[in-house]
Amino acid sequence: MSDNKCTVMVQRYLPESDSHAETSHHAAQVFMQSFEVPFDESTSILDALNYIKEELDPSLSFRWSCRMAICGSCGFMVNGIPKLGCKEFLRNYVTGQNKAELTIEPLAHFTVERDLMVNMDEFLHHLEAVQPFLMGDTSATIVNKQTPAQLAKYKQFSNCINCGLCYSACPQFGLNPEFVGPGAIALAHRYNLDSRDKGKAKRMPLLNEHNGVWSCTFVGFCSEVCPKGVDPAAAVNQGKVESAKSMLIQMFTGGN
Amino acid sequence: MEQQKGYKQELRGNWWLKHTFFKRYMLREATVLPLVFFLSVMLVGVFSLLDSVQFEAWQRLMAHPIVIVMNILALIAAFYHAFTFFELFPRVMPIRFGDKLLPASFIVAGQWIAVVAVSAGFISLFLHFGGAQ
Repeated sequence: MSDNKCTVMVQRYLPESDSHAETSHHAAQVFMQSFEVPFDESTSILDALNYIKEELDPSLSFRWSCRMAICGSCGFMVNGIPKLGCKEFLRNYVTGQNKAELTIEPLAHFTVERDLMVNMDEFLHHLEAVQPFLMGDTSATIVNKQTPAQLAKYKQFSNCINCGLCYSACPQFGLNPEFVGPGAIALAHRYNLDSRDKGKAKRMPLLNEHNGVWSCTFVGFCSEVCPKGVDPAAAVNQGKVESAKSMLIQMFTGGN
Repeated sequence: MEQQKGYKQELRGNWWLKHTFFKRYMLREATVLPLVFFLSVMLVGVFSLLDSVQFEAWQRLMAHPIVIVMNILALIAAFYHAFTFFELFPRVMPIRFGDKLLPASFIVAGQWIAVVAVSAGFISLFLHFGGAQ
């Protein structure tokens, strides 16, 4: 490795040191720790964290798995922006000759369990609630043929890896965790657009609610940070068009 | 439900000051303020048409430098809002031909052409009736 050095500030939170936390002042257990990490052109944020854990401080906790931006486990806030640790490189944070500086924090808007690990349950509940799977006649005897045009309609939205970066980017989710949120709505939209699916009527009631698509104000930062180019903001706002149509139909048919 | 362990950082009111992306978003939302001014003045003007004394007073108000500056600001705000709206529109209403997507630049250009056409229509209408006086 070259003699390039990066100063990595990592946010730590160790709940077991929470013994006199009757006051619930968790902030007392949250602190920043500084590490010197060697880096070259190919060192990712995840490589840096693994270097810290193996060489400097084995007590540091963080999630990771595939190292190739497909498992969606290693989301962190890097200088305040949600990033996948394996897809972001230290070379982008060079401040001077042979030097770089950056701050790594757990994903925003989620409850921190330990160091850089967050509880993703809120996101997973929303994801479950939109029923992101094919509904209708999916028996194995039926061949579900699809034309390239039918595939093109939803393909972009099917690239989601559930990393949760969009939830950390979304101020509406930060202010109101009941908001179904960009990732889950993008997946609901993906299945609504699928020609093989018959479940749209079951998904729309949740999306029609205030905490569904209408909590979105098209800030659009979710789409900026998405590592897979899903453009969840587009999905949510296309969902508003669908929701408006669905509500009009309800008005005239009187059904729910 | 089990009490959630860990801690959560609350989002404060100044969240949008932390990133230029959020500041641009807030600027887009704030364009409503000069537009509210323009629309209220316009509404007062329409009602003042009922009385010639009031209408003359309204015309004097419109010639006031501060009102002119506010209206120029409202025009700039309207253009900025239109710009952001037109950029977002192709993502909300994508137009497809089979498996091909109509390029976003076509839709954005189409919207600006519509703005020019409608504005030209109104300007020629005003010139026509203004000239008849």
